Amino acid sequence: MIGFNTVEKLKGIVVVVGNYGSGKTEVSINLAVNRKRAGIDVRIADLDLVNPYFRTREARKPLAKLGIEVVMPAEKYLKADLPILSPVVAGLIRRPSQLTLIDAGGNDVGATVLASLADAFRKTSVQMLQVVNPYRPFTETIEGCLKMRDEIEKTSKMTIIGIIGNANMIDETAIEDIYKGYDFVKALSDESRLPLKFITAPATLLAEIDTGRFSCPVLPIERQLVPPWIKAAGLKK
Amino acid sequence: MGKILMKGNEAIGEAAIRAGCLNYFAYPITPQSEVAEYLSRRMPEVGGVFLQGESEVAVGYMLFGAAGCGARVFTTSSSPGISLMSEAISYISAAELPAVFVNIVRGGPGLGGILPSQADYFQATKGGGHGDYRLLVLAPAGVQEAVDMVMMAFPLAEKYRNPVMILGDGLIGQMMEPVEFSDRFKSEPSNKDDWATNGMATRNRKERNLVKSLFLDAELLEEHNLVLKAKYDRMKQEEVRYEPYNIETDYRALIVSYGTMSRVCKTAIDNMKAEGVEVAMIRPQTLFPFPIKAIRAAAAKDGCQVVISVELSMGQMVEDVDRSVQGKCPVHWHGKAGGEIPTPEEVVDVVKSFIK
Repeated sequence: MIGFNTVEKLKGIVVVVGNYGSGKTEVSINLAVNRKRAGIDVRIADLDLVNPYFRTREARKPLAKLGIEVVMPAEKYLKADLPILSPVVAGLIRRPSQLTLIDAGGNDVGATVLASLADAFRKTSVQMLQVVNPYRPFTETIEGCLKMRDEIEKTSKMTIIGIIGNANMIDETAIEDIYKGYDFVKALSDESRLPLKFITAPATLLAEIDTGRFSCPVLPIERQLVPPWIKAAGLKK
Repeated sequence: MGKILMKGNEAIGEAAIRAGCLNYFAYPITPQSEVAEYLSRRMPEVGGVFLQGESEVAVGYMLFGAAGCGARVFTTSSSPGISLMSEAISYISAAELPAVFVNIVRGGPGLGGILPSQADYFQATKGGGHGDYRLLVLAPAGVQEAVDMVMMAFPLAEKYRNPVMILGDGLIGQMMEPVEFSDRFKSEPSNKDDWATNGMATRNRKERNLVKSLFLDAELLEEHNLVLKAKYDRMKQEEVRYEPYNIETDYRALIVSYGTMSRVCKTAIDNMKAEGVEVAMIRPQTLFPFPIKAIRAAAAKDGCQVVISVELSMGQMVEDVDRSVQGKCPVHWHGKAGGEIPTPEEVVDVVKSFIK
């Protein structure tokens, strides 16, 4: 990640929240891979009890190859739309890795599960970050993002302490979208007084992006959650 | 408004609003619940109504009632829910009312599973409910096409005074793609005085409108069925839609595939092209009416050795492909029905196993 090693604080337990389709899972997976490559011990928990498709568990095999453990419901329930919270998750919180990523489900509904882990969280320090893609419905305005933040904080009974800018149009992301998206999350950061932890950009566009424009690090995204007619990016160690 | 990144289910909800439909009744079921979730937020913003019925049976009749009053109305569900609505769909067809049904299909039969499927092809195109009725069935292969088809579905339903169904597999509902909406909000049905029970005072017509499906007299019921048949015949003449792919080549095989499955087939066709093997595809965009003539012509082309229906079912559309081809070329089926989607590599292997 460009300039990422300067962000020393991104260790311990990081909970990733945001609205449906903001890119929590793609960001979590890529963050896990990036930190693992930097030599940090990483585990990732799939707490998405809401959405039955495109979850972290889809990427468990490539992640396992890199030595990143994905905590998720038992194999036989993987394709169920049942709200199963693996008891392993509470253990994960009590005995965290150097970096433990918790990928929650979308919106306030998806964040509800976090409240049930309140006991486990109480005894440790947690950083909860909100992923924002301004090209998604309900978060295309600052007010929309702040409302989402309030709703998530209320149901999770936790406080968001930073923002992850994830402006993208998936395959159609243009450089201009990244710049505009950065300006948006920067304005959101100023308005909310929440620090902008990092933004993302497709790894394929990175060479063409003027990162000097940004006041925060950039996480390259190697797309893992793909429909069956597209190949996921190969993840090198 | 520029492009926005949306899930198929959200986009379907927004498209209905853009199409001027402010009446949405539904009951949640995976994998389409995001439509209800989205519209529960959006409908109040535009002065529309989202009402969750106590079951899909109730929802079907809410549509019947609203359509009878002349309101633009739609619902979304997934396979088992559509089964429950099928009685109302038969009644709405019989009463010649416009309504739009979206089925984001999951695996079946019974409760089945929650992953993508196309196993409701028969249900959508051959009945589901009772009696001689047909639905105009649109099958999107992406999120933008789902939007365009929702926009198209309401005028079509009103043109024919007949329910229109949008058949999308679970992936169409769940995947995200950038989409664009027309900013032109459409209004209510222009021909609603022809059927709506909206009170004599507000209408130009002198005769009273009666919403019914009961015809005890044999002659009257026969006449009614002939009226319906004439409509379905007109759909076959005027509404066939399909997308040909790689059809201008000297192809050795023809694939017929729709929805998500057709996207996989396109990748397979591109990969084979790179190896020097030409394969063409007809992608039906309407499943009823079915592109019979296009498939027949494409199958009859010199050098085409086989026609393969690739579908997420145990072989449903292949029956329509077979009756289209009429023995002009061998017809085979390839598919899966558990929720896994065949990969491009698998499709390549299947095609190659049939060609010399």
